[in-house]
Amino acid sequence: MSEKSDIRVLLIDDEETLVEYLSKRLLREGYLVKATFSGEEAVEVANNDDFDVAVVDLKMPGMDGVETQKRLKKIQPFLQSIVLTGHGTIDTALESGKENAFKYLLKPIEYDNLVESINEAYEQKVQLQNARFKDEVEEIYRSGLGARGIKKAMKKLSKIYGIS
Amino acid sequence: MESRETLHEKLNKANEVLLEQKETLHRTRGYLENVLENSRDMIFRADSEGVLVSFNPGGESILGYTWDDLSGREMKELAEDPHGFESLALDCIEKKEVVHAEIPFLHKTGRTIYCRVVLAPLTNSREDIIGMAGVCRDITAWRKFKQDLIRVDRLAEVGRIASGIVHELNNPVAVIGEISGWIGAVASDAEGLGEGDREEIKTSVRHIGEQTKRCRNITGQLLSFVRESKLSTTSLDAHELLRGTVDLLTPELKFTDVEIVYSFMEGPVFVNADKQLLEQVFVNFISNAVYAVKEKGDKRGRITLETYLDDTGGSPMVEIKISDTGVGISMKNQKSIYEYFFTTKPPGKGTGLGLPISRDIIKNLGGSISLESEPGEGTTFMIRLPVS
Repeated sequence: MSEKSDIRVLLIDDEETLVEYLSKRLLREGYLVKATFSGEEAVEVANNDDFDVAVVDLKMPGMDGVETQKRLKKIQPFLQSIVLTGHGTIDTALESGKENAFKYLLKPIEYDNLVESINEAYEQKVQLQNARFKDEVEEIYRSGLGARGIKKAMKKLSKIYGIS
Repeated sequence: MESRETLHEKLNKANEVLLEQKETLHRTRGYLENVLENSRDMIFRADSEGVLVSFNPGGESILGYTWDDLSGREMKELAEDPHGFESLALDCIEKKEVVHAEIPFLHKTGRTIYCRVVLAPLTNSREDIIGMAGVCRDITAWRKFKQDLIRVDRLAEVGRIASGIVHELNNPVAVIGEISGWIGAVASDAEGLGEGDREEIKTSVRHIGEQTKRCRNITGQLLSFVRESKLSTTSLDAHELLRGTVDLLTPELKFTDVEIVYSFMEGPVFVNADKQLLEQVFVNFISNAVYAVKEKGDKRGRITLETYLDDTGGSPMVEIKISDTGVGISMKNQKSIYEYFFTTKPPGKGTGLGLPISRDIIKNLGGSISLESEPGEGTTFMIRLPVS
């Protein structure tokens, strides 16, 4: 299990007080947390900063959770999303975004449960990312670029994978 | 002087007319008798004093009396409000008019029978009033049906409102839970806090957590009822489910001096049901029993779970009896226990949903619920379910 300080969490829920206290608690435990209150805001934030795990509420005014999660995935392909669903909406949620989200959690969420899911999602992200990164690095070496070319390609990869 | 022949002819003619009239009378009488005999309405005739002269079989079956019971009695005695009936009858006789009204009568057993009544004046050939005829249609079932419809309609409305409220409540409850978690986290290592105080805060926060969980249970129960969920019906062993339910309630039983006695018939007994729903029913009944025993505060309470097979009817039924030695249910409350939101528990302890929901579930499974209770002695609920 990785250090929690490595895990960058993006919270997205229109229930502002809930997000506030959730981020406080996660921050206290050592996670890096960014709180946002709408899908639109989250997408904007994700354009500038990299995250490992997004926790997104399904039902929000404006862009809903499934849509938000899809857009985030486009910006950061390895980002894992945990979608929070209310009573009775889990079926529709599953239908609309089954293949995209890491996990669906039924609201009201248990804090411990959420933390566990965030950690699992992070593990998943790291694994996927490492496997893919390895492939791509090998690809670069195989491509027969010169030292400068390799350096340039690696720099590009670092940016894509959010490694600074 | 008329001749003998002419007289004879006249007599013959008169005789013929008389025979013809007799025939008409016979036919009319047959027709009326048929109507009176076969009508399901209550049809009666009373003299000008209101004393019954005739009362048809339809009336006998509606009010439960025989003609022997009623002969010589006044019609108004059968009405729930004799004065009301009398003034209607007076109206009819004095105005020589047909009158209509809705009047409650009393069945021989004492229950109220609502009738739509038409009273018509009866006269002799000189147009003097000699009494009245009444036709009464039993509308008791119709009235009940109408009231049920209104009730169902109102309940549906309550359901819609409730599910909206519950959805709205869920969020603030979640926030409260989250904040209490935060306080707990802060208090766990806050500096300058005495250990006693730290424990106080931690305990209080834990209590807030427990209470918010309770809120969720209530809202969850309501939502699962309002939501039209898909049921997965399987064949279940009722014995196993009952034992499982008791295990589920162990935390509740721990602090109660109550003994659970099983008296099951041998082997498993299978019923077709959705496991979660039937479990919800058992939880409701058993935790009610536990509550009743606690209320009474006796040293050694007892809850008995019994099962019997009833194969006397068409399809075999299993009877599940859940008896407690608790406070019992008063006659007055027995009438209301299946009403939504009716509860005798203090605020926060009961939702008034358990029994009505349980009854709906059992009804949907083709079963029924009945109860016997002696206030101060205990209560027995009997659930009947078709065996699969």
